[in-house]
Amino acid sequence: MSTAGSGAVRLRALPGWLGPLGWLVLLLALSLGMGWLEGLLRLVEPDSRQVLYARASFLALLGQHVLVVGVASLAAVLLGVGGALAVTRPAGRDFLPLVSQLASIGQTFPPVAVLALAVPALGFGTLPIIVALLLYGLLPIVRNTLAGIQGIDPDVHEAARGMGMTRGQILRQVELPLAAPVILAGVRTSVTINVATAAIGATVGASNLGDPIISGIVNGNTAYVLQGALLIGLLAITVDSAFERLQRRVGRRGVQ
Amino acid sequence: MIELFEVTKRFGEEVAVDGISLRVEKGELCVLVGTSGCGKSTTLRMINRLIEHSDGEIHLNGQPVRTFDEVALRRRIGYVIQSTGLFPHWTVARNIGLVPRLLKWPRGEVRERVEALMALLGLPVAEFADKYPHQLSGGQAQRVGVARALAADPEILLMDEPFGALDPITREALQHELLDLQARLHKTIVFVTHDMDEALRLADRLVVMRQGRIVQQGPPLELLHEPVDDFVASMLGGEERGLKEAALTRVRDRMLPLGPRLLAHERVAAQAPLHQALSLMLWHRVDRLTVVDDDDIPIGELSLRRLVGSKS
Repeated sequence: MSTAGSGAVRLRALPGWLGPLGWLVLLLALSLGMGWLEGLLRLVEPDSRQVLYARASFLALLGQHVLVVGVASLAAVLLGVGGALAVTRPAGRDFLPLVSQLASIGQTFPPVAVLALAVPALGFGTLPIIVALLLYGLLPIVRNTLAGIQGIDPDVHEAARGMGMTRGQILRQVELPLAAPVILAGVRTSVTINVATAAIGATVGASNLGDPIISGIVNGNTAYVLQGALLIGLLAITVDSAFERLQRRVGRRGVQ
Repeated sequence: MIELFEVTKRFGEEVAVDGISLRVEKGELCVLVGTSGCGKSTTLRMINRLIEHSDGEIHLNGQPVRTFDEVALRRRIGYVIQSTGLFPHWTVARNIGLVPRLLKWPRGEVRERVEALMALLGLPVAEFADKYPHQLSGGQAQRVGVARALAADPEILLMDEPFGALDPITREALQHELLDLQARLHKTIVFVTHDMDEALRLADRLVVMRQGRIVQQGPPLELLHEPVDDFVASMLGGEERGLKEAALTRVRDRMLPLGPRLLAHERVAAQAPLHQALSLMLWHRVDRLTVVDDDDIPIGELSLRRLVGSKS
């Protein structure tokens, strides 16, 4: 009985995940088999000797790209959610305006400028781009976490205290679950933007899917630019649709 | 038993509660009533230390509330608020079981307790246990709120305008349910409201507050008959106090046994409040009613003279 039940659940849950999975399969297929598109790319660049970017495998570049975005986003989530939660506690409330301003400044500061400043301090390579993405991705997460926590009905908070929940219990059992859909929306925005922004890391020697683009611009080879852009676009869509599914799952529990 | 000794609460310069003393006996339903901003909610919230008092002492069964751990204290005191404050992401059953779970009751006991409370408050388990708060009507949600407050069987119940947001019909139904519950459970209840009819209907002891002070306290009838000043008199209904009093008196207390005369045509229930009998007389333009019991069997009669309380 129970296996049949869980089987039914799995069947119901699967179609929703087909979207992100489909994009993922397409992304991996193109990373491995960009050669299939050689004919098409030839149409774009009929005069070039080479139309397929060959300095590194696309799969390795994709891996690097995902790693950089993943590390930067994870750090941004920890820092952003942690910071926003800290300033919504009674003890940290004085810092609330400061933190939301800092996060706004992080967003207005162009990532290219962060790179320019970070390279002298951190050297070339992957580290400066991670720092740039972290700063850039912080705002949506901080802003949404603040909005999610502050959007909770004050009476729910009052009741939680009145029932005798400790601060930790209120945070874990009430505030975080209620704010989760809003926080997740912020993380989704942050990660999706960073998937695209990470490409500029190629200008400071981080090898990722930005490489073919930069190389294409430098060498005047539009086909290279297209290949990089295509994979970055697919990655962004994959990530975004996965988050969309996740949001639906989180948002479905009770609260409308 | 709850005792307040010269309790004061200041928010900065402003004095919200000004040296009030109050004693609520075990099993008593004490209603704090007053205009908005008179300090009645603040007083309530100082008892479970959601607000810390500035001066004076608050005792629970003879022990100062400050000596309790505040979280442990609140788990011992039921708390109901106007907007219910139910957790929107939890089912009805999970909401009700909150405090027993916080107290680490075994899972089976929590479930039994939740089901017992749902039955007590007229919420069929099969229909409501798995619903979320946004699927409930106002009255159902507040029943869940009351069930949650009663879950760990607290001796004391604090209710902050619990029925204030409900329509008049639901409000009256819940007031009667509360009285029925109280008759069975004998909790010590402090109930805050600005609705004088509600206060009169529920209170064993009525406490009228104004600008952070207690103006008068005592049994409702005593306040009706002997208000200390014009403020209390007008709070209690001014010229309409006669009707308020009639609402507190039952027909059975004024009726005469059946006499030799013919039964009057119009009937009134013995359990009905007196103002309802008066209304019937006005409506039907008669001065005599037949009093019937719950089974609609005549048991007495009520004349206008008896109703208004003439001695002859």
